[in-house]
Amino acid sequence: MADPMKIRANVVGDSTEVKVLMSHEMETGQRKDAQGKVIPAWFIQNVRVVHNDKVVLAAQWGPSVAKNPFLSFKFKGGAKGDKIRITWVDNHNDTRTDEATIA
Amino acid sequence: MFNWVEGLVAAAFALGLSAGADASRYDLGRTPTTAEIAAWDIDVRPDGTGLPDGRGSVADGQRLYDAKCASCHGTFGESTDYMALAGGVGTLASDQPVRTTGSKLNYATTLFDYIRRAMPFNAPKTLTNDEVYALTAYVLNLNDIVPAGAMLDRASLIAVKMPNRDGFTRQHGMGSVRGTPDTRAKACMHDCVANVRVTSELPEYAKGSHGDIALQTAHWIAPQAPASGSAAAIATAKGAGCMACHGVAKGVIGPAFVDVARKYADDAGAEARLVRKVEEGGSGVWGSAPMPGQAHVPAADVRAIVRWILGGAGD
Repeated sequence: MADPMKIRANVVGDSTEVKVLMSHEMETGQRKDAQGKVIPAWFIQNVRVVHNDKVVLAAQWGPSVAKNPFLSFKFKGGAKGDKIRITWVDNHNDTRTDEATIA
Repeated sequence: MFNWVEGLVAAAFALGLSAGADASRYDLGRTPTTAEIAAWDIDVRPDGTGLPDGRGSVADGQRLYDAKCASCHGTFGESTDYMALAGGVGTLASDQPVRTTGSKLNYATTLFDYIRRAMPFNAPKTLTNDEVYALTAYVLNLNDIVPAGAMLDRASLIAVKMPNRDGFTRQHGMGSVRGTPDTRAKACMHDCVANVRVTSELPEYAKGSHGDIALQTAHWIAPQAPASGSAAAIATAKGAGCMACHGVAKGVIGPAFVDVARKYADDAGAEARLVRKVEEGGSGVWGSAPMPGQAHVPAADVRAIVRWILGGAGD
C-alpha cells in the first residue's frame, strides 16, 4: 500500500478547486539501473475523483507523468463540508483511495 | 540555504572583529545599542539556543502557508521552482538525490531560524514568533515529521528529530537544488608548497592613487543636540565631507584651514564671502582645482564651519 495522498479542496466562487499530491514512483520502464537492467514500468494508469457519488474527474495516465504527481483541477459545484474521494490504480493493480473534506 | 546562514554568521563575526580592531584608525561605525544587538541576534542553534517563546499549530501554519508561502513553494511544498520544502526523504544517498528542506535539514530548529530570518521572501522578518512556530510546524507536517494536530513550542521543536539528522553533507552545491559546488575546498595535506610567494601585486604607480581613503569616508555621526565650539565644528566638517579635500594643518587638494584663516585674518567681509563660496563652489584662489558647491550641507553648518576656520581652525 502506497503512502497517503495529500489533498486540498477549497470552494472558490461557484466551483471547487482540488489539489492533490500523490506519492508514487511513476517508473517509465525506460530507465536502466546500474547493472544495465531495465527498471520495469510502474505507473498510475487510472485516476477517479468522486464528489457525492458523482464522478467529477476520470483520467487515464501514462508513463510520462512525473514521480509523485501533482494534480490540480476545478469542478462546478461542491460545498463546504462535502466529501471528495480520490482513487488511483497503477499498472500493478495496486490502488489507493483517500478522502478529503471541502473547506 | 546553509551557506547563507553560515555566511551571515561569519560576516557578523568579521564585522565585529574589524570594528574592534580598526575603529580608532578609520573612525568608522559606533558601538551598537542593546536594542540593535537584540534585533540582530536572532540565530537559533541546533540545540535550540536562541529559540524565542511562543507556540504555533499545524492548522494555523496551514492558513498562513496558503496565504504567504504556497504561491512560490506549492500547496504541498512540492514546487521545485524555488526551494522544494517537502519530499525526497531517504533519497540523499541514492543515485537520484532529491534535496528538499525535509530531506536534507539535520535540525528542525534551523528551519525555524531560516523562516524567521528570511521568509516571506518579499517581506522577511515580518512574521511573529507564534507565526514562525506555526509555519515550522506545518512544513514539518508536510514532510510527515509531525502529526496534523501538532502544536510546536520551544521544547517540542527541539525534540523533533529530522530524518537526515546524521547524514548532512557539504559535497554538493548549496545554492541550488541540483547544483555542483564551486570548489571542494580541500585543505592541502601533503606535497604542499612550502613557502607561498606573492607573485603579483598592485603596481607602484597605482598604489595610493586614491589618497587616504579613511579621510574620504563619510562618517557616521550620532544624532545629538547641536554642540558648540571647535569640536562640534570639526565633527560637522568631517560629516560634511570637507576633510576629503582639506586638511586642518596641511592642504590636500584644497588649502589647509589654517592657511585660509591666515589669508583672511584681517578681512571683515570674509565670512559672508566664504559661506557663499562653500555653498556655490569656486576656484582660482588656491590653485586651479575647483571646489564644487556644497549645497547638501545645511546653511547653519556651513556658517559654523566657516566661523571655525576663520577663528583659526583650532581644536
